[in-house]
Amino acid sequence: MRLMPTRRKILCLAAATCALAVAGIAPASAQNAGADAFIRNFATDLVAIVNGPEPAAQKKAALGPVIGRDVDVSGVARFCLGRFWSTATPEQQAEYTKLFQQVLLNQISGHLGDYRGVSYVLTGDTPQGSNTLVGTTITRPNQQPINVQWVVGSVGGTPKVVDVIAEGTSMRITQRSDYASYLGQHGDRIDALIAALHRQLDNSAS
Amino acid sequence: MHLTTLHQGPARRSLAAAALAAGALALASCATKPPATDADAVQDYEQTNDPLEPTNRFFYRVDDSLDRYTLKPLAEGYIFVVPSPVRTGLHNALANLTSPVLFADDVSQANPQHAGDTFMRFVINSTIGGAGVFDVAKGFGYPAHDTNFGITLGLWGVPTGPFLYLPFVGPSSPRALVGRGADTVLDPFTWVPRGYGLKTLNWARYGVGIVDERATYMGDIDHVKASALDPYATFRSLYRQNINSQVEAAKHPAPTTTPSWGTQPAP
Repeated sequence: MRLMPTRRKILCLAAATCALAVAGIAPASAQNAGADAFIRNFATDLVAIVNGPEPAAQKKAALGPVIGRDVDVSGVARFCLGRFWSTATPEQQAEYTKLFQQVLLNQISGHLGDYRGVSYVLTGDTPQGSNTLVGTTITRPNQQPINVQWVVGSVGGTPKVVDVIAEGTSMRITQRSDYASYLGQHGDRIDALIAALHRQLDNSAS
Repeated sequence: MHLTTLHQGPARRSLAAAALAAGALALASCATKPPATDADAVQDYEQTNDPLEPTNRFFYRVDDSLDRYTLKPLAEGYIFVVPSPVRTGLHNALANLTSPVLFADDVSQANPQHAGDTFMRFVINSTIGGAGVFDVAKGFGYPAHDTNFGITLGLWGVPTGPFLYLPFVGPSSPRALVGRGADTVLDPFTWVPRGYGLKTLNWARYGVGIVDERATYMGDIDHVKASALDPYATFRSLYRQNINSQVEAAKHPAPTTTPSWGTQPAP
């Protein structure tokens, strides 16, 4: 019998969140080779920060620009709001997107902050519609290796990470499911979601 | 099937009882399907496939409280007291005991590569691996993998059915429950005669397995609980995505390779 919620299946989540920490969303049609090089560059930057000796706060500050550069954060934010995006006012959309950006960075840095000795290898790529799936295997000391696929799309002609799939679980789909359920429990009110994100950020800051 | 099999150990009767109770309770409360006029909401409802959501959420809360006050502190104590190499050894030994079931699952999935890996892992780790404590086989090119009969059923085209959250079991589905039952039947430990201390061994294996698993995923589980606005929905989504991806992976097994020292067949 298993007392905990997901367990092994959740491992994926872990993987998802950690990788997810690095995720984003958006569509595109990058050449596979270009997507590979893009992910190699992105992952190398991430790993350098994560493995560095700096304290967590400094790592978080360093991750911000890299994520902003290579992840389609606003596209991911919009995806995660799903059908509620079109019902939100422009002000709500703007505020939500701003909050989402910080939540994403917090999640990524919170999850990666404690790691040392992370390494990765590229395992090949596959086209998926207009996107390219770039596979990696991420190794951490004393942990099972994690298979992480990076969904690379092109946003305005530039390759961007639009999703991270860790052990079969998509970061953006999981996040959208979380928000949709929260909204469903709170009368579909976008303001309730925005307030919850504010609380989440306040909690993580304290 | 990896450690999940452990959890079908001696307590399987109470598990079945819990499942029955859950089923009965579930009938009493169902989530309301949104009106057909709201197409987006209907699509959400169908994708989530959680008609028993109120009941499931109730059991999630029960499980969450049990975890907070019993299992999690226990797992934290285990991590604090027992050094990491010892925990790894114990984890390996427990996983090794699930090899016979895993082998049967590999065969049921017509995956000779995995079945061969499992067989060799069991032979190597049970002997020179010191009763499974050391994962020597991995270094010999037989990596660990995990599956269960629920995945086999998925491979055979059995639909997963509505989402279930069961006390002491966690996220599940009718298909996963049938798979658990099959794995229990396939597990030789189910059929060992009583006496000889084997019953005690089974219970110990079961109890330690739970703590080991909780300790293994400590950070991940806590991370979801801390970062999700609705942890129940997040666990549900992760569970379903992961199961679907395992079924998809089972549809495309790695090609069987010929050992390099073997005679290569003519093309």
